[in-house]
Amino acid sequence: MSILSKLFGVRLGALMGKEFNQIRRDRRLAISLVIPPTLQLLLFGFALNATIDHLHLGIVDLDHTLQSRDLISNMTESGAFVLGGSYLSVNQLGEAISQGKIDAGLVIPVDFQRDLSRGRQSTVQILLNAMNANTAAIAQGYSEGVLQNWNLHAQIVRTSAPPMKPKGRIILHPAFLFNPGLVSTWFIVTGTFGVLLMLNGSLISSASMIKEREAGTIEQLLMTPASTTEIIVAKIAPLFLLLCWMILLATTLIRFVFGVPFRGNLLLVEAGAALCVLCGIGIGTVIATFTRSAQQAQLMSFFVNPPLSVLSGSLTPVEAMPHWLQPVTLINPLRHFGIITRAVLLKGSGLETLWPNFLVLIVFTVVMLSFSVWRFRKQLG
Amino acid sequence: MRRIFAQTTKELTQITRDRLAVTLALILPMCLLLLLGTAISLTVTALPIVVQDLDDSSASREFIDAFRASQTFHVVAWPVDRPPVQAFVANQARAVLIIPQHFGRDLARGVNTETQLMIDATDANTAKLVQGYAGEIVAAYMNRDDGGGATRPASVKAEIRLWYNPGRESKKFYGPGIFVLGISMFPPLLAALAMSKEGEQKTILQVYVSSISAHEFLLGKILAFMLIAFAEWLLMMILLYTWFGLTIVGDPTPLLVATVLYTFCVASFGTMLGAAIPSQAAAIQAVALGGFLLVFLLSGLIFPVQNIPPGLRWVSGIVWGRYYIEIVRDALLQGGGWPAMWFNVLMIGLIGSFFYFMAWKRMRRMQLSA
Repeated sequence: MSILSKLFGVRLGALMGKEFNQIRRDRRLAISLVIPPTLQLLLFGFALNATIDHLHLGIVDLDHTLQSRDLISNMTESGAFVLGGSYLSVNQLGEAISQGKIDAGLVIPVDFQRDLSRGRQSTVQILLNAMNANTAAIAQGYSEGVLQNWNLHAQIVRTSAPPMKPKGRIILHPAFLFNPGLVSTWFIVTGTFGVLLMLNGSLISSASMIKEREAGTIEQLLMTPASTTEIIVAKIAPLFLLLCWMILLATTLIRFVFGVPFRGNLLLVEAGAALCVLCGIGIGTVIATFTRSAQQAQLMSFFVNPPLSVLSGSLTPVEAMPHWLQPVTLINPLRHFGIITRAVLLKGSGLETLWPNFLVLIVFTVVMLSFSVWRFRKQLG
Repeated sequence: MRRIFAQTTKELTQITRDRLAVTLALILPMCLLLLLGTAISLTVTALPIVVQDLDDSSASREFIDAFRASQTFHVVAWPVDRPPVQAFVANQARAVLIIPQHFGRDLARGVNTETQLMIDATDANTAKLVQGYAGEIVAAYMNRDDGGGATRPASVKAEIRLWYNPGRESKKFYGPGIFVLGISMFPPLLAALAMSKEGEQKTILQVYVSSISAHEFLLGKILAFMLIAFAEWLLMMILLYTWFGLTIVGDPTPLLVATVLYTFCVASFGTMLGAAIPSQAAAIQAVALGGFLLVFLLSGLIFPVQNIPPGLRWVSGIVWGRYYIEIVRDALLQGGGWPAMWFNVLMIGLIGSFFYFMAWKRMRRMQLSA
């Protein structure tokens, strides 16, 4: 108590002491600070995975020769496709695709080997269930890659065709930087981090603001000599400190459970996270000033939260959104926090490249907090 | 029967009195469908790529033009004297293509030339897409007719047919998913609120002293929320037909049967939670957890169910939304009909009956606590 009073002045210190005592007595709040974020982070991190592999490939081999079997084994041996079954006719294959038993089909024509040995071009058909555009795009790129590779070897091995003027080939060497193992949880977890801070920050702050109003104790606070700004600051500061614990908890999980490398300066991420939490508190306070009961506040958050998290690039890349929608994401604080987390943790970027994102976060936080103070004052006055 | 309908009418009157609830029930699902259905996608376009051309010949420039012409990449300028990897650190590019010296000369001489493509793999899925697209561009560039006439065509050519969604439009896949999410969230939310209100305000006691039986009471309530769910279904179906460009392909009967069962399932789910939790705020949280988190995460809505680790995958086997998502996608895109979908319809029916049974059991116990 006395320390708080010395630090913030008597009134503010006393108000903060009151908030701390209230929080300490509220066991449900303490639980809701620890359990939901941990659960959400684990669930999102483990359950959301965009990796496409083990697609079931159905095969119609009308040729039944060495060459056709070689192509089939090339297609199925390296992880993206696994053999899903052999079919006698294209019709049966089509039926299996429409019933969802297999995801893709490969049809090798009669005379496949004969055409090849005579130096003629042969055409195989690849059927892809393109319902899921992402899977289809990856499967398409993959099957073309396999064929290209196979062609390259085929030309070296069987060149019974008359020699031609050799043609140089472009060989593309892809290198995956920052995440050579292509672990997709790294992307999801670093994105979920911001969503968690923002959502829980706004939920908890709106709940605690509304509690005071529903209980009618807000009038008592107003009768004290404290100004509205002091009341709000005293409400926000303890919540902020509590939520900082959540930042630490989440960072620990990200580091030790998911094994995300921390390549850059961790302090930068924590600073961004603190801003993110303040933003969330601001949003929660604004929601609280627009609603009359806890129930309404929760319904309001159904309006606010899904767009905020979906239009942030946290779970799906921003570049995949329609072009007219992409600029909208620039005014979303979560977008900027996501950029900061990923750039610092995975790429080791520093403040010299991330200052615009920090700037936007700071501006958004200040605007949100002052707007909530203004709304609060207006409502009480 | 008459008592069931009377209960339904009472329930609907109560809901229409609350302006916020009506908006929530009818407008919010449509907004959600429009927003999420359009915004969620994993297939990127116009990714910024930096090209470092160390050759600067006509061949290399032609090669770069092939990248420039693609929809996936957007070539951005980068100063020659700065190392290209810094473009990643500064978030200016997602890929870097390096064309070596003597690129054109080697190609003309018939020597293989090696180019490097560095990909920012922070997002593993996008990195894989980039690799695939770049490979396709290179293949197309090499197979182009450059007037020489002496090129040997690739010995095996692939004819790729994309079924069910030939334009590879993401919204046709995610639209039906969000459609199901909407139906899984809002009707149970309203049902849970209505039921927990009876417990909170103790009006449940009046029900007990009346002559209505537990089954009649529950069925009447559930029927009301089924009607709301069905209204949402119709409104969102209109959006799917117009904005998302989907139509029902094949046999519509599995979808219709499943829809009746699914609306029953979600309404029973909400009623069950409402009966179990006699506090409105806590009931909302429970529905948000069950209706939103489970159906959003463990149903294959965005990411395939096969990718969920085996320890968690069994959970998705009891997520009711998962079966309905498969049915809706089948009806609107694939057209597999009863042979493909009979099991899903059965599962929805089973899960729905379980929820109803639990609601009935809780309902009998509510009397004691009230």
